[in-house]
Amino acid sequence: MARLLKFNIFRYNPQDPESTPHMESFVLEETDSMTLFIVLNRIREEQDPSLQFDFCCRAGICGSCGMVINGRPGLACHTKTKDLPDEITLLPLPVYQLVGDLSVDTGSWFRELYDTVESWIHTSKAFDPTAQEERMEDSMAEAIYELDRCIECGCCVAACGTARMRPDFLGAAGINKVGRFLIDPRDERTERDYFEIIGNDMGIFGCMGLLACEDVCPKHMPLQNQLGFLRRKMGITALKSFFKK
Amino acid sequence: MSVPLTANHKSLQSHRFDGLLDWAQMLSGAGLILFMWAHMLLVGSVVLSPGIMNAIAEFFENTGMAQVGGPLIFLLFLAHFALAARKIPFRLEAQGTIWEHAKLLHHTDTWLWVIQAVTAMIILIMGSIHMWAVLSDLPISAAKAAKVLQEHSGWFLFYLALTPLVHVHLGIGLYRIAIKWGFAGRAERAALKRVVTLIVLVSVGISVLALIRFWFMAV
Repeated sequence: MARLLKFNIFRYNPQDPESTPHMESFVLEETDSMTLFIVLNRIREEQDPSLQFDFCCRAGICGSCGMVINGRPGLACHTKTKDLPDEITLLPLPVYQLVGDLSVDTGSWFRELYDTVESWIHTSKAFDPTAQEERMEDSMAEAIYELDRCIECGCCVAACGTARMRPDFLGAAGINKVGRFLIDPRDERTERDYFEIIGNDMGIFGCMGLLACEDVCPKHMPLQNQLGFLRRKMGITALKSFFKK
Repeated sequence: MSVPLTANHKSLQSHRFDGLLDWAQMLSGAGLILFMWAHMLLVGSVVLSPGIMNAIAEFFENTGMAQVGGPLIFLLFLAHFALAARKIPFRLEAQGTIWEHAKLLHHTDTWLWVIQAVTAMIILIMGSIHMWAVLSDLPISAAKAAKVLQEHSGWFLFYLALTPLVHVHLGIGLYRIAIKWGFAGRAERAALKRVVTLIVLVSVGISVLALIRFWFMAV
């Protein structure tokens, strides 16, 4: 006989003045290859149509379904119930604005992040739409792609002790974003320019090295290596700027 | 849920000293780790023979290193506290947040940070008491230490508590420096944890052996 799974789900609708934050339990029979994405859809279809949660791709690509699963931020679509105990607690990701129940607004947070880190190629070259794209070595393209795989699900920030204590912290996603442009030869920004963005306690020097970001990232981004590399790089820039004055 | 904002503030400006303070935090911590290991070997030498410990202590006193170096280490200790305290939450609200966060996350490295912060506070008080007690009553000798520990079991218990706290704090600090500054990457993390655990166990072992030696030493 299949397991009966009990789901304790956070419920709260900030738009409804009558609503108060509380936990609500649902029971479902486990099926083969069941993911939390399937669970949430079944609960919504069969038990409570008012349940709010985000999803889009079902395949760990869009980053919409990030939530706290038994204490750990993760993607609902990536999480199989067979890897979880009989009782499962689902909470919305902290840090981000709550839309309702398990749905949070990561979009606004990341939008502000793009503005802060100026998340685009800075170049003085005029764009010629008829020209061939500038060539780069395969190894360079791969290195950039490796850092560009982030799906911005927000799990790293939700798992970060620093981000929980200071809302102006850029988090691993933001710092990694800077690292991605730093190695891109098309971006003409200097180390000093990047230092202006992350060479402070809101950026890399605010990171306390708890590495929850590294451990929860559903895409297994190389966050530990990236944070170490950028701390050394920005640390050296800090010394250079100090002694050059 | 926590704050809905904002990775950026309009007033976000380069805080030029943040980087230098981070260097200072790391270097002061690394300096204290090296000092504590040297200290452990000095005190631990009593296990081999009180004569060796006395000879080392005498060398430090005759060269003035204990009289000058001791207070300098105390200053470094205070400086390290002030630097690292920039990251420790002192307001109850933030303490509650990080505590709830750690409890929810079930994540070893997050708990290690909580332990690092809590041991820091205890070491600040107990370490200050220890340094005051020793430096205000030079010279250091094995017989004197043994007499104090045997006659006042409170001091024995004090050091029995302080020793593991210091070495655990040191071990987590060493691990954290290697991780934060990228000296150990993803591939080395597990091995680093094992090595640091071994260092902590050996250090606590040597220190406890030294305490036992003092306890049973003929005064």
